[in-house]
Amino acid sequence: MLKRDDIVKLVRVVAETHETEIGCDACFERLDIFAETELSGVDASAAMPLVGDHLDKCADCRSKFEALLTALRGT
Amino acid sequence: MRERTNEQWLTDLRGPNPDEAFADLYDLLVRGLRVGLGSYGGGVDANVGDFAQEALIKITGNLDSFRGESRFTTWAQKIAMNVALTELKRRRWRDVSLHELFARREAANREPADTQLSPEQLALQNTVLQELRRMVGEELTDRQQEAVVAVILEGMPVSEVARRMDTNQNALYKLLHDARRKLKRQMEASGLSPQEVLAAFEEG
Repeated sequence: MLKRDDIVKLVRVVAETHETEIGCDACFERLDIFAETELSGVDASAAMPLVGDHLDKCADCRSKFEALLTALRGT
Repeated sequence: MRERTNEQWLTDLRGPNPDEAFADLYDLLVRGLRVGLGSYGGGVDANVGDFAQEALIKITGNLDSFRGESRFTTWAQKIAMNVALTELKRRRWRDVSLHELFARREAANREPADTQLSPEQLALQNTVLQELRRMVGEELTDRQQEAVVAVILEGMPVSEVARRMDTNQNALYKLLHDARRKLKRQMEASGLSPQEVLAAFEEG
């Protein structure tokens, strides 16, 4: 049952929903290219908007991207 | 470690004497995991060798799927991060069942309506709450409702909810996407603007 303090969380994600979104597999497929694009100084989300959108919405995939980016910057 | 082009990595790993390339790749993965997982703290460092070993098996078993669109080492580190973070999330959430999550949620004392609200604001909030409850109950399947509660409202990782619902992360993301799309269309059809709803609840 939806509670009063669930509303903001739910409506925020509903508001950001697009008809076309890629899934986690398609995001992971492009994650290495996305990370290298970001490292090159280019706005990766502008270059690959569907991947950027997925990373904004999916905490699982975002954690992998952030760890990869940190590793690439630090090694 | 000697520098290699993508082609050299593939040639060395597929060649008759891959030991040096295996060792170099393993070292690279361990270094990357240490740096990339630094923020996870406690105990992770002791596991990076196992994560790198498991990743190495996946990488060498899937060399044909590397399309050369990034550096080979970036592709390999992506796979290592996936192995490590999937396992770390599994450990972090291993003692939580969906049943317990839902039971705890139902038992929890939720914030009552803000007593500072005007009668009009309170009435608006109650209308929105009832309407959204109706949409969730009528438009979403039982599985969609479970996924919405576990992932969106309770913050459980998609991969961990998927494991418990006998599906995979990709399929569960798509199920959630369908649920969000249904709710968005229903809100539009009912004349409920997300911006107005958020304003009514956030300002309250």
